[in-house]
Amino acid sequence: MSRPRLFHGGLAVDADHAAPRRLDILVNAEGKIERASPEIKPAAGVEAVDCTGKILLPGLFDMHVHLREPGREDEETIGSGGRAAARGGFTGIVAMPNTDPPIDSGGLVRYVRTLAREQSPVPVWTSGCITKGRAGRQLADIADMQQQGAVMITDDGDPVADAYLFRRALEYARHFDLLVACHCEVPELSRGGAMNEGARSYRLGLPGIPACSEEISIARDLQLARLAGGRIHIQHVSTARGLEIIRRAKADGVRVTCEVSPHHLLLSEDDITDYDTNFKMNPPLRTVEDTGALLDGLLDGSIDVLATDHAPHTEFEKNLDFASAPFGIIGLETALPSLFSRLVRTGRLPWDILIRAFSREPRRILGLEAADFAEGRPADFILFDPESSTHLSADTMESKSRNTPFIGQTLPGAVVQVVLGAELLLGRKQS
Amino acid sequence: MSETGEISLLAAPAIRDKIERIAAQIIETHPDHSLALVGIHTRGAVLCRRVFDLLRARGRNTSFGTLDIALYRDDLDNLGTIPSIRGSDLSFPVQGAQIILFDDVLFTGRTIRAALDELVDYGRPARIELAVLVDRGHRELPIAPDYLGQSIPTLRQDHVRVCFRETDGRDGVFLTHPAAQP
Amino acid sequence: MNTVAAPARRKDLLDIESLAPEEIVFLLDSARPFKDLFDRSVKKVPALRGKTVLNLFFEPSTRTRASFEIAAKRLSADVTNLAITQSSVSKGESILDTVDTMQSMKVDYMVVRHAAAGVPAFIARHTPAAVINAGDGNHAHPTQALLDAFTMREAVGELAGRRILLVGDLLHSRVFRSVSTVARKLEMEVGIFAPTTLIPSGRPDYMQAFNTFEEALEWSPDFIYLLRLQRERQAAHFFPSLREYHHVFGLTRERFLACRRRGIRIMHPGPVNRGVELVDEVLTYEHCLINRQVENGIAARMAVLYWLQPAVTPLPDDKEEVAS
Repeated sequence: MSRPRLFHGGLAVDADHAAPRRLDILVNAEGKIERASPEIKPAAGVEAVDCTGKILLPGLFDMHVHLREPGREDEETIGSGGRAAARGGFTGIVAMPNTDPPIDSGGLVRYVRTLAREQSPVPVWTSGCITKGRAGRQLADIADMQQQGAVMITDDGDPVADAYLFRRALEYARHFDLLVACHCEVPELSRGGAMNEGARSYRLGLPGIPACSEEISIARDLQLARLAGGRIHIQHVSTARGLEIIRRAKADGVRVTCEVSPHHLLLSEDDITDYDTNFKMNPPLRTVEDTGALLDGLLDGSIDVLATDHAPHTEFEKNLDFASAPFGIIGLETALPSLFSRLVRTGRLPWDILIRAFSREPRRILGLEAADFAEGRPADFILFDPESSTHLSADTMESKSRNTPFIGQTLPGAVVQVVLGAELLLGRKQS
Repeated sequence: MSETGEISLLAAPAIRDKIERIAAQIIETHPDHSLALVGIHTRGAVLCRRVFDLLRARGRNTSFGTLDIALYRDDLDNLGTIPSIRGSDLSFPVQGAQIILFDDVLFTGRTIRAALDELVDYGRPARIELAVLVDRGHRELPIAPDYLGQSIPTLRQDHVRVCFRETDGRDGVFLTHPAAQP
Repeated sequence: MNTVAAPARRKDLLDIESLAPEEIVFLLDSARPFKDLFDRSVKKVPALRGKTVLNLFFEPSTRTRASFEIAAKRLSADVTNLAITQSSVSKGESILDTVDTMQSMKVDYMVVRHAAAGVPAFIARHTPAAVINAGDGNHAHPTQALLDAFTMREAVGELAGRRILLVGDLLHSRVFRSVSTVARKLEMEVGIFAPTTLIPSGRPDYMQAFNTFEEALEWSPDFIYLLRLQRERQAAHFFPSLREYHHVFGLTRERFLACRRRGIRIMHPGPVNRGVELVDEVLTYEHCLINRQVENGIAARMAVLYWLQPAVTPLPDDKEEVAS
């Protein structure tokens, strides 16, 4: 067991405090927060960690990550994804079940959880599938998966197209108070599409995915959730109208939460030039009006959660023409620096809202223990250096894949340490 | 030396004399042939036109044509911009014609080589002769003028510029040393 | 003499949208002398002697390929045709493999056609060869647009202020996108007439849409450009039947007579579906420009090949030097 550590001299922000305040944190040998107050004098036998100039944030949580294991270990593994999470400041992630085979049974949930404990530096939870094999035909063993540790269910990557089956899934999951998360689109409307349908797809001559494909599906799922009464979570909302439908359902008493990805806040279809496949994802990048509406939704609380939809693909796969390339970009290592540089630093996104959406709310929705600075809790926070920078390249990234529009860029701000219990996950090279 | 750093080699009256002498020599060489005069774009065509007018004034009936050798150059790879193509205009049958080719300056000979290549693509002339206003030497191909205005010794890197009223507003031949350039 | 400075040469021609109007005009002006060459006894010029042009067609097209082949040969280039069917190459990685293979053969120009938008751009990024887009998905067909603009100029002179009406399957048409763009850049007015199912969303708002053919004729277009209708569109519910399509959206005999009275020029990128887009008689009409479009395609493509400049080929890689 290690020595107690005192993190001193830093400024802290959390879900209730947008403005950085002085906070020293004493973590005892068991990895629990013994004291947290503006100034703590170092005692004998305590290792002092100088946090001057750094910002302390509660550990981030990403409830939408594709780890690709089992099946596509060339794209990502639970180990590499877990390391990428730590590098990005995440102290907890939820693996999506669209692996090969899909995580649709208690046995597979246990397998993933076991691998995660062995190989990932940060805790990895997993989602189970809604339907067996994600095939949309019959329900997966929902209760069994939950018993083995699945924290939610989703067929992410595809909607449950059969409305009857989806209704039964919501009702059944409600029995176990299990969250049902939805990837919303109407397959018949999206089929063949490569990007948002509109002026940009016209200019590039690419087949479009209309916004209403997502909106119709959101509306359907929310009406079914009202009928079934369960807890529903809309994944990666990307359009202003889709968000508006969710707002109305919330006001109407539907137990719905929703998430937005950093790329849908930061990028729009206008950024797609020269057919760069690192801008191809599903839902696609929408218009700048949508981007603005999503940020407003995050600020006013209509959007509960930030989630990366980290979707690794190899260079081999992404190095295709735009229409043939797979959907998805990675996000674990780019999320915090990109949000910080584009929105936080510019005053458009306060720290407390970022932390609510990227730490407190996803943990609360999934019934997991919060990460905050409360005395008596296990240490679960990160040190962020706003004066440093993060260079995103093959040499610096932990993910096995590089499919991000930020590749090659240097973004302001850097996660310099992740404190999880008695562990320092990013090594000791502190300046 | 003029204020532009150029040395004037031939002034307007001298140019007029040279062109008249070329016309006279052509008449002397070809007392009774029917001729076709072909000028290379741009200033070769001007020179050609002037000789054509002189011949016509002396009652000689000749044909006139222009040649754009852009598509026959051998240095396309090195050009950052391509010359605008104006096209060639040969309104007489090239087959069997007595052709006199005109250019303003004879230098490496590559332009003339290109012009010869192009002419024979229109047909098989009976004979082609060459008339130039200035021969500045440094030939890279075995080409020599049949009618010459003036031979001027130059350095390889010198720049010789011919100006005509029709294209440049005044007549003159100028030489620029690279060292004299601003 | 009109000696406007020639625009800087480009490596690739991928679409019309990225061309400045001056570049378009320059290419149209240059196409003229190329066309004049066709009347000479020797139709060839040595401009591209020693260069190799690869026709890389992932989608079958005998006409466009032949047009590029003749254009390249009249510039004295060597031409290689490579037709690759979709079944043997469906993934881009194989496209890259193909491009790499061709690169080792030191190809100077690649003429690329593919069913997916963006493939020529993708290839252009991976080769020093000059790449010409010969049609990619619904994106662009720039040489078609250039030859059409050339043909229109040849027919009426200055195009600014002239009107072109594009009719038919606009949605699945790269020709529509490129021709409307070139028309816009040459300050023409653009009208469209098509079933609503075949009008792409996101189109620019300078296009004036008409509800009936008769209404469109009242607009007095100088040119009517009929787009080819793929018969299989019927199966995807874009319109109920070819008969109904022709009746409502085709150039029927009656409408053709109205066009003839007004001297409207008729164009079509070919091949024509007789009895669908137009009636037979159109093809013998004095202002039918369809055959001229084909002829002018060669001159326009010669102008493009002549203008483009392949990048400096990188040094031969080490493998080759070791091997030799």
